[in-house]
Amino acid sequence: MSEEKKYRKVRIKKGPKGWGGPLVIEPKPGRDLIYSVTGGGIHPLAAKIAELTGGRPFDGFKSKADFHEIAVAVIDCGGTARVGVYPMKKVPTVDIYPTSPSGPLMRFITEDIFVSGVRIDDLEVID
Amino acid sequence: MVKYEARVVAIGPLVGEFTQAGILVLFRQGAPEEVADFSILHDGQDLHAPVAAGDQLWLGDESFRILAVGEVANTNLAALGHLVLKFNGQTAPELPGDVCVEARPLPAVSVGLTMKVVG
Repeated sequence: MSEEKKYRKVRIKKGPKGWGGPLVIEPKPGRDLIYSVTGGGIHPLAAKIAELTGGRPFDGFKSKADFHEIAVAVIDCGGTARVGVYPMKKVPTVDIYPTSPSGPLMRFITEDIFVSGVRIDDLEVID
Repeated sequence: MVKYEARVVAIGPLVGEFTQAGILVLFRQGAPEEVADFSILHDGQDLHAPVAAGDQLWLGDESFRILAVGEVANTNLAALGHLVLKFNGQTAPELPGDVCVEARPLPAVSVGLTMKVVG
């Protein structure tokens, strides 16, 4: 049985009232974590991104990972802190809430690294 | 009643980024390091009742009236011990995670400080 992992690209667009993106996420060997930094364990949106891309769902509150291992971070941020922390670290970031750049770290939040208001319907496999 | 109670256990090295803007970011201990760096970490557990405008926030022996609570603030607090306190005097939350309190200088926060929401 082959252990070779097949990854797929997913386009993630903003949801209603969301901001930023679209992002194209393609996990790679060594950079395939779908990093959920959300309340209540791995968020269903992170689980779906993992399923579609072949990436590995990962609970940022349970275990520790290096930024270079993260393909995308999924957050449930209400607008101030996490929205800036992951873009600052150059980690593509998906907020389930429809936030726009704000907070002291807003200078790091740009359309090429951040998208918000995302629902499962906003994910599209593109290869 | 005391709706939420916690004791400060650590202060992230980068909290100044937020305190300069009149914001305290709280997370329950165990938050990922990149988030903890910007946060006041605490040992709070259960949220006994939703935080609401009109409640009092106690930081040590100083109290602040809560003026506005964003629509996801209680979810964040219950799930992650996460609270974004803005000392801006706003009566409508600007962002869904905000908890706005009286516009007064931020209190000094140190390890061991007790925090409470009473309402």
